[in-house]
Amino acid sequence: MSPCERRLDELPPRTCAVVRRIETDGEDIQRLKTLGLCVGRQIEVVKSGDPLIIKIFGSRIGLSASLAARVWLEICVPDQCTLQNPSPT
Amino acid sequence: MNDCHSNDAVSPVAETFSRRNRFGKIEIAPLPQLTKREFTLALVGNPNAGKTTLFNALTGLRAKTANFPGTTVERRIGRAAIGRQEIVLVDLPGLYSLKSSAPEEKLAGDALRGQIAGHAAPDAALVVVDATNLERNLFLASEVLELKRPVIIALNMMDMAEREGIRIDVKKLREELGCIVVPIAARTGKGVDELRSEIERLAGCAVVESAGRFKTNCVTACAGCPYQARYEWTESVSARVMNAAAARRPQRTEKLDEILTHPVAGVAVFLAVMLAFFFLIFWAAKIPMNLIDHLFATIGTWVAGHVAQVDLQSLLVNGVVGGVGGVLVFLPQIVILFFALSLLEDTGYLARAAFVMDKIMRKLGLPGKAFVPLLSAHACAIPAVMSARVIENPRDRLATILVAPLMACSARIPIYAMITALLFPQSPFKAALVFTGAYAMGIVFALGMAWVFQRTILPGGSKSLVIELPPYRLPGLRTAFLHTFDRAKIFVKQAGTIILLISLLLWTLSHYPKSAPPAAVAVMTTQAVQLEKSGAQKQADELRATADHLTAQSALQNSFAGKIGRVIEPAIKPLGFDWQIGIGIISSFAAREVIVSTLAVVYGVGENAAEQNRTSLYDKLRHATRSDGTPVFTVATCMSLLVYYILAAQCLATSVVVRRETNSLKWPLFQIFYMTGLAYIAAFITYHIF
Repeated sequence: MSPCERRLDELPPRTCAVVRRIETDGEDIQRLKTLGLCVGRQIEVVKSGDPLIIKIFGSRIGLSASLAARVWLEICVPDQCTLQNPSPT
Repeated sequence: MNDCHSNDAVSPVAETFSRRNRFGKIEIAPLPQLTKREFTLALVGNPNAGKTTLFNALTGLRAKTANFPGTTVERRIGRAAIGRQEIVLVDLPGLYSLKSSAPEEKLAGDALRGQIAGHAAPDAALVVVDATNLERNLFLASEVLELKRPVIIALNMMDMAEREGIRIDVKKLREELGCIVVPIAARTGKGVDELRSEIERLAGCAVVESAGRFKTNCVTACAGCPYQARYEWTESVSARVMNAAAARRPQRTEKLDEILTHPVAGVAVFLAVMLAFFFLIFWAAKIPMNLIDHLFATIGTWVAGHVAQVDLQSLLVNGVVGGVGGVLVFLPQIVILFFALSLLEDTGYLARAAFVMDKIMRKLGLPGKAFVPLLSAHACAIPAVMSARVIENPRDRLATILVAPLMACSARIPIYAMITALLFPQSPFKAALVFTGAYAMGIVFALGMAWVFQRTILPGGSKSLVIELPPYRLPGLRTAFLHTFDRAKIFVKQAGTIILLISLLLWTLSHYPKSAPPAAVAVMTTQAVQLEKSGAQKQADELRATADHLTAQSALQNSFAGKIGRVIEPAIKPLGFDWQIGIGIISSFAAREVIVSTLAVVYGVGENAAEQNRTSLYDKLRHATRSDGTPVFTVATCMSLLVYYILAAQCLATSVVVRRETNSLKWPLFQIFYMTGLAYIAAFITYHIF
């Protein structure tokens, strides 16, 4: 396991991270994947807790912490994160 | 560019007969059939993409709701006259991916591929894409395009996208996808006419076209996560066709969510919303319900005035008019509940409600959304069972449907009122306490049984929460109206058939076989005539009324219902009930509140006493004695009867609706069986405690 990997349910709000690994592959996880939460994709944590809210593309997804605990991510370098600060030009 | 009817397509007629396939060869298509064949168009799209709004805009009231064969998953089928053609439109359940394993989504995928027995694949697919969330929506669109069937993409919510500063190059998107793309705003109707003419053009061709040019390039090539590959593709396409540089995502949704998804504030708002919701179905529905009641009473009186024959009169008034009226009276609750629910869902709030309630409800083994039907069940179990559709997981939905009728519905109130009046005529405080206890007991048993079912007959564990929180939007009134109309239609259809039949059967049970009125009645009638002659009109009327009550009492006691009451007496004796209460239980099998008027007849106070003169009914019941002279309604019997009616499944309308919603006879029968069993055991224990 890479040292920078963190569990989704442990990430603070406003964190931008890239999905690195998803444990198991149940129906629930399958569902998350169809919503865009799959390895290599970037997401933003909107709200932590149980359940928590993440942002994938423009959509907000609520999911229970028990599911989030099976997703491992790497936190993006802040200024590389396109999702965190939508540029209001 | 002619793989698909596109923007620069040549004459549609020329296109019909020959076309180049992806290798550039000309394919000769079969000649169009001369017989008129209906063109079917399936609507597919992500949940919240505005699919239903578009469906309604195209079809309106001409839609029918039906289950997929052998399932409880609904699809709506509508017809639309487009140009000179009749098009059949099928609204499939919303889905995120064709490969989804969730039952509703799987069925939608199967229907699209023509893998449902007895149903051919649709001739074309109309994919509804949310323009404000292109990256996600193109995922499904690309899967549909890969089915190699004709596809029209309706790029919906263009008005919202424009407002958010998202600019989409529609022409470029057409090129990327190789199919027709029509920008629309289904809510305002903008672009729908253009969409119609594109559908007309597509339907005018008899050939199944292929979208062969379309390729996501990455789907098969990339090992590992196919989702990732496809999402990378959707992202790259979006980046090419969309100019979101000036996008100003509305902050409204995020600001509102700060409160509405907050663990404390969110729950508080939710409870307030639910209180208003409950107020609507419990109190506001009272006005139209009373109107319906009056209407049917008037019809009954009118029929009684025009039909002289006694049996026929009773059959029509009590059996037909009473039976149908007794069911239609629930219509206002159903209409109000579905209208309010549709608005809540459309604004995006229902998803938040599910979100904040999930953690609490999950402890009870139910999903957050189960709160809505379980609360509604306190007004009436019928709309509650119907509204359990908000729960996606079939197992959770079934558990909710099974326990919802345990909640104290408004039909139980007259029974609770009768029993508390019998128990504590002098103490409103104690009466209130019993009332509260009855409500609490319903809730405790409902949640307890849900817990038991999840661990016994409905194994498999609850699904973890994964829910999209769509942006808040103004609800569409048209969608809400049509949805409500749809639900009301389903209910009325059921009420008009099965429920009417059974209410006729129950009427027969309590009116046949005929028996002669007791001897005392003849004496009373003669006395009444004499009193009338001597000018004592008032006494004469009273005597006549008593004679009528006696006749009704003896007729009921000698009817089949009376006989059944005697037969089941040994079974209900351990609960402290005599055969006369047995008649009450039998006759209120279809509608529990009927027991009050049945007891009024059985104890000779007359049916009207149940409504007009409660005190005389309660007095009579309080003084009713068994054959050995002891009172019938002792504390133990009253408590036992109360507990029995808290738990028993005495509502046929609910059972009929459960049958429809579970698409099986097994579950409503099981529900009647378990609820009655539970009621029996609990009443038995209660009787022996007191």
